[in-house]
Amino acid sequence: MKIPERILKKVEKPARYTGGEWGQVIKDKNAVDVRFAFCFPDTYEIGMSNLGLRILYHVLNSHEDTWAERAYAPWVDMEACMREENIPLWAHESGDPLKEFDILGFSVQYELCYTNVLNMLELAGIPLLSKDRDESFPVIMAGGPCTYNIEPIADYFDLCMIGEGEEVIEELVELYKEHKKKGFRKQAYLRDAAKIEGVYVPAFYEPTYNGDGTLASFRPIYDDVPVKINKRIVKDLNKSPFPTKLVLPFIQIVQDKITLEVYRGCIRGCRFCQAGMVWRPVREKTTDVLCEQAKVLADATGYDEMTLSSLSISDYSCIDKLTDELLQWTDERKISLSLPSLRVDSFTKELMEKISTVRTGSLTFAPEAGTQRLRDVINKNVRKEDLLRACRVAFEGGKTQVKLYFMQGLPTETYEDLDGIKELAESVIDEFYHTPNRPKKAPGVTLSTACFIPKPFTPFQWEAQCDMDELLARQKYLDGKIKDRKIKYNYHDAKVSRIEAVFARGDRKLNAALMEAHKRGLRFDGWDEHFNYEEWLKAFEAAGVDPSFYANRAFGEDELLPWDHIDIGVTKEFFLRERHRAYAETTTKNCRETCNGCGANRLGGERSCCPGLKK
Amino acid sequence: MLSGPQKIRVKFSKTGSLKFISHLDLNRTVKSAFLRSKLPIWYTKGFNPHPKTVFSVPLSVGTASLCEFMDFKITEAVPGEVICATLNSVFPDGLRAIEAYEPTSKFHDIGWADYEIRLEIANAETYVERVKSALNEPIVIEKTTKIGTRTLDVSPFVKVLSVTEENGELALRVKLCCDDANFVNPKYVIEFLTGKLGVPGERDDYSVCRTAVYREDGVTPFK
Ligand code: SF4
Ligand code: SF4
Repeated sequence: MKIPERILKKVEKPARYTGGEWGQVIKDKNAVDVRFAFCFPDTYEIGMSNLGLRILYHVLNSHEDTWAERAYAPWVDMEACMREENIPLWAHESGDPLKEFDILGFSVQYELCYTNVLNMLELAGIPLLSKDRDESFPVIMAGGPCTYNIEPIADYFDLCMIGEGEEVIEELVELYKEHKKKGFRKQAYLRDAAKIEGVYVPAFYEPTYNGDGTLASFRPIYDDVPVKINKRIVKDLNKSPFPTKLVLPFIQIVQDKITLEVYRGCIRGCRFCQAGMVWRPVREKTTDVLCEQAKVLADATGYDEMTLSSLSISDYSCIDKLTDELLQWTDERKISLSLPSLRVDSFTKELMEKISTVRTGSLTFAPEAGTQRLRDVINKNVRKEDLLRACRVAFEGGKTQVKLYFMQGLPTETYEDLDGIKELAESVIDEFYHTPNRPKKAPGVTLSTACFIPKPFTPFQWEAQCDMDELLARQKYLDGKIKDRKIKYNYHDAKVSRIEAVFARGDRKLNAALMEAHKRGLRFDGWDEHFNYEEWLKAFEAAGVDPSFYANRAFGEDELLPWDHIDIGVTKEFFLRERHRAYAETTTKNCRETCNGCGANRLGGERSCCPGLKK
Repeated sequence: MLSGPQKIRVKFSKTGSLKFISHLDLNRTVKSAFLRSKLPIWYTKGFNPHPKTVFSVPLSVGTASLCEFMDFKITEAVPGEVICATLNSVFPDGLRAIEAYEPTSKFHDIGWADYEIRLEIANAETYVERVKSALNEPIVIEKTTKIGTRTLDVSPFVKVLSVTEENGELALRVKLCCDDANFVNPKYVIEFLTGKLGVPGERDDYSVCRTAVYREDGVTPFK
């Protein structure tokens, strides 16, 4: 620990910065070949909760010659102290400055952390732009969901890992070692790295633009660099690396429990959902492997809560068997089992009786849209009857409060659909009073709406986001409609959603805007108290980019999209087909019922529902 | 087999990173370590079972200690050394179990504690005499409690053990009262000296470590 104690005594939650947690990996820095630091561009509490990083930390540290450490974005109070005393950003385990490392791997989870990436590099004393860094600086890598369209922040990274990182990160470190032995040259390393499947080196590609600002071409500058970068997946999840020891935080973090990853992918195909598409194809772990892993984690952590994690947990093919087997020992071990993201059709009396957290926790469903018509458009196969049935089960079980999640501003949405949100909430209240053995308390429904954000690699990737006035008008409309005091309405800040939309579908021209934002001191954009829309608008203006071009423009179906050089397995043709079905208000069956030929089966995978899997 | 749960007291130290975690977080850290240890810890019954761990006099965040105590119960007899070794195998660095035994006293019996305070000051040696004489006079401080702020002389509750210069730092060893009514936080002593002598530099440039804990007489070590 190198930070002076007098600073640690001054800042909020000093345990964010001390390191020294149970489970951290300490090695002799002189005895390893590669020093790697996972950098999470948000607070310690959020970063420590990330499952992917826990896995990768384990993967790299299982190599004797590699030492992987952790770094997080310091909160603003700590940042002020660091700037005042010239303390460079450090890694938690060794306390050494990040600048001394061989590789920094940023986990880029959401657009609103981009400014934090820049700020962390600056605090580390590392030039922000890839082109300004030579061999004397660490190689800066990126991974995580945002790499599917990394263009708006591509100039700052040396290379990106597209897809699941477990295997490719080892290959990249291995390659680094080879290059280090023969005298490390950054360009030579990147050139070889670009040949690894799943690796994207932004500097090796050059965009050209049409007069209207759209992309004209996007080509590699070298012949030996692939034109399309294929996403990597781990084919057999049963055999995928799994951390047997976790770093246990001293302070409470966001996911302060055992997270057991049950499967990857999602059989549903909600048309707004990027996660459901980019994680295709579905790959499950078997129940016996999961039970074994759960026990190992329980022993290793001493956590008293375990959550089963997956995009849509109730779709796991053996969910009953899994919960039954876990419950056989979790109670005795004083571990409570929880299930996130339940679907309405999976919410049953049996489940409620079986799982205590379902019995006692809050009740949350995500119909996403207010009318059946709009739910058909977005392919969210939730029916009102199912929702009301689930609520009745919950009311009979003693619950009184229901939370419902929706999106506003979805393609084709009308004011009727907004009325539908209100009516759905009213029906839930009615259902309560029609439940004979209901609890003797007043019911409540909380409606939470997010603004629709068109995301790359979804059937809605071409859609425009409603402009700001319209988003605000729709929020105001719904707010005015809700008269029943038993219904609460919360909505996301439309301004934040607009910035997210700009970066979600952005191209390389946005790198300049990001730099402007950074110069204006923007960071922690995901935090209400630090988000500053007006400064963002100024940053766009200074960089000469129009945010509406990205957020509020419908992209042409024949347009070359900024992310078209990335191949996630699911084809553009499939997305187009799905888009047209959306406009026809036609639903698409889930992958377990039928294959819709999205293309992801080309990637292969064990225990999947795709036909004709490549082995 | 025990006829009922047996009370165990563990004396432990809290140094390094552990200095910076709150009482609540220490509780969480110990709770998960208990589960990892697989020791036969006794848990409360009911929906949310937990080991009823009780800690001795709380420490301010930032203060180290070589002499903390926690009480809990076990359901099967385990030798003290085994308890310590097992806990140390699952405790993070900075948390060390020193001794485990069946307690015969209550935390309420604790009356005094020794602290070692180190101040980083230029020319530390020139302060030794001045600090000594300052602490010989009434030690008037502002004490803030739930009821409000009071100005009072705490000198009856402060015993100076030594004031020396060590490795360029001013080292101050004091015995402070820590019963409920007259608890003297070491920070009061530092603030008093800062006010009195205008000790240069940042006020936060000091470290504090609790080194021993005594019964009401201030002489018999608490066990
Ligand atoms: S159920 Fe729909 S929204 Fe949820 S992860 Fe699957 S595709 Fe996405
Ligand atoms: S290939 Fe077929 S089954 Fe597999 S993910 Fe695509 S649509 Fe679903």
